[in-house]
Amino acid sequence: MQIVTKDLVYTYSPKAKDLSVKALKGVSVTINEGEFFGIVGHTGSGKTTFVQHLNGLIKLEKNSGSVVIGDFDLGNKKCDFKALRAKVGMVFQYPEYQLFAETVKDDVAFGIKNFFPKISEQEGEDMVRSAIEMVGLNYDKIKDKSPFELSGGQKRRVAIAGVIVTRPEVLVLDEPVAGLDPKGKKEFLDLLHYLHGNIVKTVIIVSHDMNIVSEHCTKACIFSGGEIEFVGTPKEIFSRYEKVEELGLELPVTAYLTRALASKGVIIDNDFTVDGFVSAFLESNKKGERL
Amino acid sequence: MKDVTFGQYYPANSFVHKMDARVKILIVIAYIVAVFLVKSFHFLGFCACLAFVIIATILAKVPFSKVLRSIKGILFFIILSAILQIFFNKTGNVLVEWSFIYITDMGLLNAGFIVARITLIVLGASLLTLTTSPVELADGIESLMFPLKFIKFPVHEFALIMSIALRFIPTLLEETDRIIKAQKARGADFESGNLFKRAKALIPVLIPLLIGSFRRADELADAMDARCYAGSKNRTRYKKMKISYRDVLGVILIAGLITGVVFLNQFYIVLAVAL
Amino acid sequence: MAIISLENVTFSYDKRHNVLKDISLSIEKGEYVCVIGHNGSGKSTLAKLFNALIVPDSGSVTVDGFSSADKKSLFEIRKRVGVVFQNPDNQQVASIVEDDVAFGPENVGLPREEIGKRIDFALSAVGMESFKKSSPARLSGGQKQRIAIAGVLALKPDVIVLDESTAMLDPKGRKEVLSVVDKLNKEQAVTVINITHYMEEVVEADKVIVINDGAIVMQGTPQEIFAQKEKLKTIGLEIPLATRIADKLRENGVKLPDGILTEERLAEELCKL
Repeated sequence: MQIVTKDLVYTYSPKAKDLSVKALKGVSVTINEGEFFGIVGHTGSGKTTFVQHLNGLIKLEKNSGSVVIGDFDLGNKKCDFKALRAKVGMVFQYPEYQLFAETVKDDVAFGIKNFFPKISEQEGEDMVRSAIEMVGLNYDKIKDKSPFELSGGQKRRVAIAGVIVTRPEVLVLDEPVAGLDPKGKKEFLDLLHYLHGNIVKTVIIVSHDMNIVSEHCTKACIFSGGEIEFVGTPKEIFSRYEKVEELGLELPVTAYLTRALASKGVIIDNDFTVDGFVSAFLESNKKGERL
Repeated sequence: MKDVTFGQYYPANSFVHKMDARVKILIVIAYIVAVFLVKSFHFLGFCACLAFVIIATILAKVPFSKVLRSIKGILFFIILSAILQIFFNKTGNVLVEWSFIYITDMGLLNAGFIVARITLIVLGASLLTLTTSPVELADGIESLMFPLKFIKFPVHEFALIMSIALRFIPTLLEETDRIIKAQKARGADFESGNLFKRAKALIPVLIPLLIGSFRRADELADAMDARCYAGSKNRTRYKKMKISYRDVLGVILIAGLITGVVFLNQFYIVLAVAL
Repeated sequence: MAIISLENVTFSYDKRHNVLKDISLSIEKGEYVCVIGHNGSGKSTLAKLFNALIVPDSGSVTVDGFSSADKKSLFEIRKRVGVVFQNPDNQQVASIVEDDVAFGPENVGLPREEIGKRIDFALSAVGMESFKKSSPARLSGGQKQRIAIAGVLALKPDVIVLDESTAMLDPKGRKEVLSVVDKLNKEQAVTVINITHYMEEVVEADKVIVINDGAIVMQGTPQEIFAQKEKLKTIGLEIPLATRIADKLRENGVKLPDGILTEERLAEELCKL
């Protein structure tokens, strides 16, 4: 499913003059199927408001632009939001804090009961099992446990299972690795790649960490003051060093090094992943030696 | 969601805002007494109370629309009381008679009386919350509850609980909003179905909220301990409430109102006798 | 002189498995110490031991000569060691910044004028003077944590412990908090113990203590610690990204010196080649 937004505008509490905040001021962007898409920008730049439009958690007002996701036109009054939400999964920040059921199994099954009430018991259980296994947990061991007795990392995985259980095509995650330790972070990003390759077609992550975006995303956009500053591959985005810093964002380490070298006249053409940087650097070093 | 202004505090730099919270609370109590003192069915006493509210509103620099808005919330209640009076008061002369319904002059008069009474009380009380921040209000209540210390009532702890509750209202509202959205994203439906179904739909919101509150309480307790909290023993207070000329003026005004109401009550009797 | 010293400290929450096992360490006055370890390694428990929120089952915690086992010295310890916790939303007791900062001084019974002075001192130390009358609910995460630091500073502590205080902040908020703490350490000689799992925060520390499974497994300067990347990896920790890139280049024959921890340093070295 392709996601297309045009001139998307959103204002919080538009009627209260002194309190109203223009969170989005005309956002037009296209996110193609298959992307691992990064959304960056500092707090209050509108990125969370934007992603909440993608599954109708924030509804479109009249004359506030359009959002079209696959066959769903979110501005259309007849749009079936329930069906949309089954297709576009949304994982909020610290999703482990939204667990509520007595057992892991019941919690993960919540989405199934809501979206597919007519499904048979057996079919439902199969879906729950596969979702829990997808996130790297042992179904038989964990299914009857209380979600509250799990470790932090496990809780977060269960929460993700509760979202992918309906087999969404698009998975949106707001700050997915916040609060995890380095190992947890790495494992979680591996999980996202695994899901991206296996059940979810498009992954959209909102992140503050530019190193994650440059390393993992196929494409990204920068939000600033309710607008998209630019969209492109991490390479296209982070090679505009000055602009990125002007927007109050940090450069990924690779881009920082590339710029430092460029200022000395050493041009290292790379995609800003760690491996990409290292091999491009070695390549240019070799050439340097030969000359 | 972040900017929910609870209570309905209207920040301004006015005569009334600067008054001591304790004095304001006492004045409002006296004002309510004054409203109740208005006797019989002359409305002069109510006019005096209304005049008091109007003067106070002007002094408070609060727009009249804000004060009037407070009535909106209990409009249903006011109308209901009026209707009950009109249809069920069987004393006095019958004005309209239609099958089992009688409307009497006393019924109408009583209805008007009750509407005036409730409206005036609400106006006065809302002026207090409009001009006094929740924190000041809590401090004021604590200070006024001081005598209860002698019967071993934990006044200080009670005030701290109120203060913390006020502090956490915006945080919890924000969290509620987030959890509702997260469960909606998982297909939860809070808008359709009968009352029972809707109440049941709230469980996935209430449980995380409850667990979250316990977690917060736990962390807050640690943070308080870490900052040397040990109950009210040996504790000093940073904020001191001061009585100023404004408070004296306020007290004079309210005393004037009560005297006026009592006088008008008497005056009405004299007038009635003379006629 | 050691301001905090732990000797053979063992602690458990349930009297069965020990969260901390036989920990001995000392923190010198004015030091900037980082404690790292993965989630659940016991590092947050350590924070609570430092200011007597919990006391050890065996062994001793001594702060500026006061033992935490002695109930009478509880407040002497807490006055000297302030803790800033992880969640910026769960540390403020009052709806107005100045009232919140006043909480600590009120608790220890300072006179009113002194409390007023402390509030001004603490808020200016964290650069939040202009928010004195604001409501914490409307501040950003970084600002809330700075208020939390001010709340602790108002008690004029010798030591500030940051218990993962930057974990929930965005990069801007993290920078704000770290630069405030850095300034306090350098200008006011406040001892800082930063418990974290952001490896980038560790590089500036005087000393790093690595905790795994409730025990100290490594101790040393950041250079010494990050030189042992295999050992760090086995306990679920990472080396800073700049160090990782330097290592990869070195493995491929690029001649780089050891002990590169920051991107600034790496850039400098690469430009020299």
